[in-house]
Amino acid sequence: MEHKNEQPNEAQGHHISSYKEHFSTLAALLLLTVLTVAVSVFGADLRSLSVATALLIATIKALVVAYYFMHLKYEHKLYRWLLLVVVLLFVLFLVVTSIEYLNR
Amino acid sequence: MTTATTDLNFFQVKRGLFSWIFSIDHKRIGLLYLYSLMTFFLVGVTLGVLMRLELLNPGKDIMEAQTYNQVFTLHGVIMIFLFIIPSIPAVFGNFFLPIMLGTDDVSFPRLNLLSWWIYIIGSIMALSTLVFGDGPADTGWTFYVPFSVNTTTNVTMSVLAAFVLGFSSILTGLNFIVTIHRLRAPGMSFMKMPLFAWSLYATSWIQLLATPIIGITLMMIVAERFFGVGLFDPSIGGDPILYQHLFWIYSHPAVYIMALPAFGIISELLPTFSQRTIFGYTAIAFSSLAIAFVGYFVWGHHMFTSGMSGTGRIVFSIMTFLVAIPTAIKVFNWVATLYKGSINVQPPLLYALAFIFLFSIGGLSGLVLGALATDIHLHDTYFVVGHFHYVMFGGTGFAFFGALHYWFPKIWGKMYNITVANIAFVIFFIGFNVLYFPMLVVGLMGMPRRYYDYLPEFHIPNMISTFGSWILVTGLLLMLGNLVAGLFNGKKTGRNPWNSISLEWQTPSPPPLANFDKLPELPEGGPYNYKND
Ligand SMILES: [Cu+2]
Repeated sequence: MEHKNEQPNEAQGHHISSYKEHFSTLAALLLLTVLTVAVSVFGADLRSLSVATALLIATIKALVVAYYFMHLKYEHKLYRWLLLVVVLLFVLFLVVTSIEYLNR
Repeated sequence: MTTATTDLNFFQVKRGLFSWIFSIDHKRIGLLYLYSLMTFFLVGVTLGVLMRLELLNPGKDIMEAQTYNQVFTLHGVIMIFLFIIPSIPAVFGNFFLPIMLGTDDVSFPRLNLLSWWIYIIGSIMALSTLVFGDGPADTGWTFYVPFSVNTTTNVTMSVLAAFVLGFSSILTGLNFIVTIHRLRAPGMSFMKMPLFAWSLYATSWIQLLATPIIGITLMMIVAERFFGVGLFDPSIGGDPILYQHLFWIYSHPAVYIMALPAFGIISELLPTFSQRTIFGYTAIAFSSLAIAFVGYFVWGHHMFTSGMSGTGRIVFSIMTFLVAIPTAIKVFNWVATLYKGSINVQPPLLYALAFIFLFSIGGLSGLVLGALATDIHLHDTYFVVGHFHYVMFGGTGFAFFGALHYWFPKIWGKMYNITVANIAFVIFFIGFNVLYFPMLVVGLMGMPRRYYDYLPEFHIPNMISTFGSWILVTGLLLMLGNLVAGLFNGKKTGRNPWNSISLEWQTPSPPPLANFDKLPELPEGGPYNYKND
């Protein structure tokens, strides 16, 4: 009977990124870093949202790195699902811990 | 699947030390793990016996209080990180998973070898705490802050050792997941897979997804010790309970890393020795996944008295009770498997039956601890120590030794002395209960755990417990001695001494390098379809 092939052959789709893509990714990351600094210096009136803002920007940066530098965009869908599962698990940990912390 | 080109078994194809420590054969790596694990296990047992000796009478018997703190910490670190967490997957998983799936190796043989090397490096790091500075950590294996940040003992090295050992665990898990997905024999669908493989599959996902959390948590201790970052220290804005959250987010699922493979072993032993189909294959398979999933969200039950919020406590208590459901499903299915079977009482079956009995005591005492009101009284008493020894040693330990007796003739092609094995089992089992049952009692009486000294009213149960440790060690030495004797003078066995229909019994004992000398035949109607049903 069949040997299940749940993933495509790695050799088929090896994406080679262009310089243009690399540099625009770098530019985006640098821009987001500048934004983080700017928010922390000038964004004093964000108050309790300052942590949330910093985390949001950091998350966007992580996604950009995963998608372009780490080639998630060009890989089989399975890898995106796996990342999603792990992120969901992490969010669940945060939610459960926060339920405890916020009710203390 | 290729057929072997030679009659040599995997022991004979190559000889010499290097052919072992650089071997990428999953069978040899499994045995490397076995030998190293047993060495560390015996070190851990020795430390445990010394602790029991100290507790024989109130006051000082053989060691100082500080030494005692270090001994129980090292005992915990060795038994948890060096023995139980790797135990069944690293030894029997490595050796038998590929054979039971009908393939010739794991997906990544080199990663497999690397995981053993990482394990050895981590183990040496853990034991090195003995010889430099102020000696081994005195924090308990849980490394709770703030004490672990302040103590001058070698916490940093112990924590780094656990960090390194985590990588070994992750690599084994990753390897098994890919092997199970990609290398099953043609015709073996997931629902025709042996239950041992199912349990390793669930375990591997926990290893892969939970272990990184302990890694990062332990690094936070190091950061706190060296740089005073203020993650856990309230005086500089940290939260000590945050440490406990992070630690138990891994360490509770780790309980299932230890327990699930043991469940898998029992699901293999019972059908073989009752010559009968496993009762409720699907329920057993999926309850492993359910335990793995729900087990992620119960960690707070270790923190009921730590100053957690009331809501948090209720949520964690309810979730804890939920885990009991899939666990009980397994226990009932196992017992039902025995019903009307043609039972063949052999040493492995004895260990499996002892497992069900001891694990039930361990599991039920766990419910007492998972209930909020009773936990207030029992938290940090000897009841907890009794409980987790029943679960970990009575459960996983007995399954490990059951598996060793079961697969011994397959691995070495020889049979140990069955009578001696039975006698050793009886002594071992009695010693176990004499050692740990008094702990449950003395815990109910209120004796706190991890204390060097105790009140006179706790004397008698402590004495009984220490006597028990001597009985247990006698049984253990007899059992191991018998196995070692079997290794040298045991009678040769054929392919299938237990009359099992599982794939590993179709190949010669010991198996050839490529695992099978002829194409393995999948049993018709599933992996446990014994004819006499
Ligand atoms: Cu737990």
